[in-house]
Amino acid sequence: MQIFSVHPFNPPGDIAALRKKVRDLVASHESGWDPVGRANCWATFDTDFSRTLGKEGFLGMTWPKKYGGHERHPLERYVVMEELLAAGAPVAAHWVADRQTGNLLLRFGTEEQREKYLPGMASGEEYACIGLSEPGAGSDLASVRTSARRTDEGYRINGQKVWTTGAHLCRGILALVRTEEGSERNAGLSQLMIDLDTPGITINPIIDMTGSHDFNEIFFDDVLVPHGALVGVEGEGWKQVTAELAIERSGPERYLSSHALLAALIDAVGPEPSDSIAALIGQLTAQTWTLRQMSMSVAAKLAGGEDPVVEAAIVKEMGNAFEQAMPRLVQAAVDHSVELGDDALLAQLISHLLVASPSFSLRGGTQEILRGIVAKGLGLR
Amino acid sequence: MSDSRNLLTEMAEGLFADLSGQDFESAWPKIEEAGFAGLLVAEDQGGFGGDWGDLFAVLRLVGQFALALPLGETIIAHKLLADAGLARPDGAITLTINGNRAPWGRNAGHILRAENDELALYAADAVSAEHGESPADEPRDKISFTGAALSSASCAADVYALAALMRVSQAAGALDAALAMSIEYSNDRVQFGRPLSKFQAVQQNLAAFAAEAAAVNVAGQAAAAVLDNGGDAALEIASAKIRTNHAIGVGTAIAHQAHAAIGFTMEYALHPLTRRLMGWRSEYGNDAYWSVRLGKQIAAHGGAGMWHELTARSDALIAG
Repeated sequence: MQIFSVHPFNPPGDIAALRKKVRDLVASHESGWDPVGRANCWATFDTDFSRTLGKEGFLGMTWPKKYGGHERHPLERYVVMEELLAAGAPVAAHWVADRQTGNLLLRFGTEEQREKYLPGMASGEEYACIGLSEPGAGSDLASVRTSARRTDEGYRINGQKVWTTGAHLCRGILALVRTEEGSERNAGLSQLMIDLDTPGITINPIIDMTGSHDFNEIFFDDVLVPHGALVGVEGEGWKQVTAELAIERSGPERYLSSHALLAALIDAVGPEPSDSIAALIGQLTAQTWTLRQMSMSVAAKLAGGEDPVVEAAIVKEMGNAFEQAMPRLVQAAVDHSVELGDDALLAQLISHLLVASPSFSLRGGTQEILRGIVAKGLGLR
Repeated sequence: MSDSRNLLTEMAEGLFADLSGQDFESAWPKIEEAGFAGLLVAEDQGGFGGDWGDLFAVLRLVGQFALALPLGETIIAHKLLADAGLARPDGAITLTINGNRAPWGRNAGHILRAENDELALYAADAVSAEHGESPADEPRDKISFTGAALSSASCAADVYALAALMRVSQAAGALDAALAMSIEYSNDRVQFGRPLSKFQAVQQNLAAFAAEAAAVNVAGQAAAAVLDNGGDAALEIASAKIRTNHAIGVGTAIAHQAHAAIGFTMEYALHPLTRRLMGWRSEYGNDAYWSVRLGKQIAAHGGAGMWHELTARSDALIAG
């Protein structure tokens, strides 16, 4: 049995030149970045930098030019993404729109929706958020209860979404709602692209345990949106969301978003570390290298039109476990004179990531859900 | 996978399934007859003309079928001898690298000694083998050289790393085989009125095992691809062996946990896989060896330089 076949990573064009362009861009902006924010960088919002990426043609890279995109190969986009993540660039503001919402609108959206949303996403000026979780629907997504009733004027929405990252900065939310009254589980669900400035929507912040405001709760109180807000086919929302999650789970952010800590460790100990620290660097490098091979293989498969659901779940699960272990391992191994509370970058990164890392195996599907997907792929359920 | 590799693995799979469980004396002649020894030797030198990706695929099957033979050792020895322009004798050739124990040293017709960038080939009657056994009871013999070498040459290849890749490749197959056995057993075995595979605790463990086996398979193939591109692959093989050693620890534990007592018996076919896997963690570099070596190599690049090195090495593989 071989559940993870290797697919060659062969992007077109001059990849070395593409990497250099991203590295040069990072070098000319990094002086303004919070060093600690670089260690969990796709949770770090910087709308100025998102606009810069838009201007440079690094957002909407694979989308058609008529929507502001650049018609590049998906693996060129992968190279840009991994460069930004490895450099700890603040990419949170545009991440969801660029990674999944825009692609979903291209695949299932109407012409009107594409023209309305994609250009702003590609220029890094407009962002989107994911409207899946509700108070009663977390891992059990089919328990979604937010309702959207079709009327002559449009859809009338009532309910609540929660854990909505970045909603306070976004133009729109792609929400999974129950359009068929009395429907159960994954039937009768649809996706609506809803402008967050529509009357009746209330967005409240939820402060997470790092002290950051990323999460929000969103209340829909008799919100009326036009029929044109429907994305794809009414009642097919579950199928569309499943496709969305596969894209969401497979990217390099699942193992690379805390890379800044490894780089800081290497810089802190210098070119000739002790054997025990060298061993730790070796272990972390081996994991990084292996995860990168796996992630690139999944990306190449996606680019080739395959749907590697199980492989994507494996990469996310292993990547999350690695990123979660890294701050603990570094904390355990570094010289005891590195005291938390120090100004030293390494000490600050350890502190920040110890507290931030519990979220890694929650966002985008818990470890248990991902292992369940793998188990199903193994024929165990 | 290329057509020629498909043919190769189909042939190997059929033969290895027959040879599984046989000892050296009965199995080796059939390996010899099939011509696997020259897998990595160019066709114009009388070999099969295969690449390191082919070696991974064949040794993965050696691991899957728990073959008790020094096949990887013989294939690598033939490659080193051919590259050095030395004659390649028939029969099994084992390796002793930097004084390490030679697998099947007592059985092999020849011993290739790799030490200090030198290769020297000895016939069995020019050495004495002090017997030792791996955890799987395979011969691991300490070789003393009592006679003269048949031939010798200098060698630029990192033979220790190539041998590490050999064990990574075998581990990829053995882990996949142990995983398949664990899944099948969990689907068949009924307790509390339902198959074990219906219990979430069992599912979660086997999913974790599958991820570990996947990591080893990907790592081994990726390292082989660097060798095939003409690179030194030191970083990649180090990473792959470290990752493999970790995966063996997790995978063998879960395989035995899934099988419970029956898997701990001599009669049941799990131990030929897990005992070999357990021993391979030490062979050609344990975690400490490779992680210190790799860590020093990486630290010399600096924090940003590490990423630049990883990407430059993989970009070199992109087909132009």
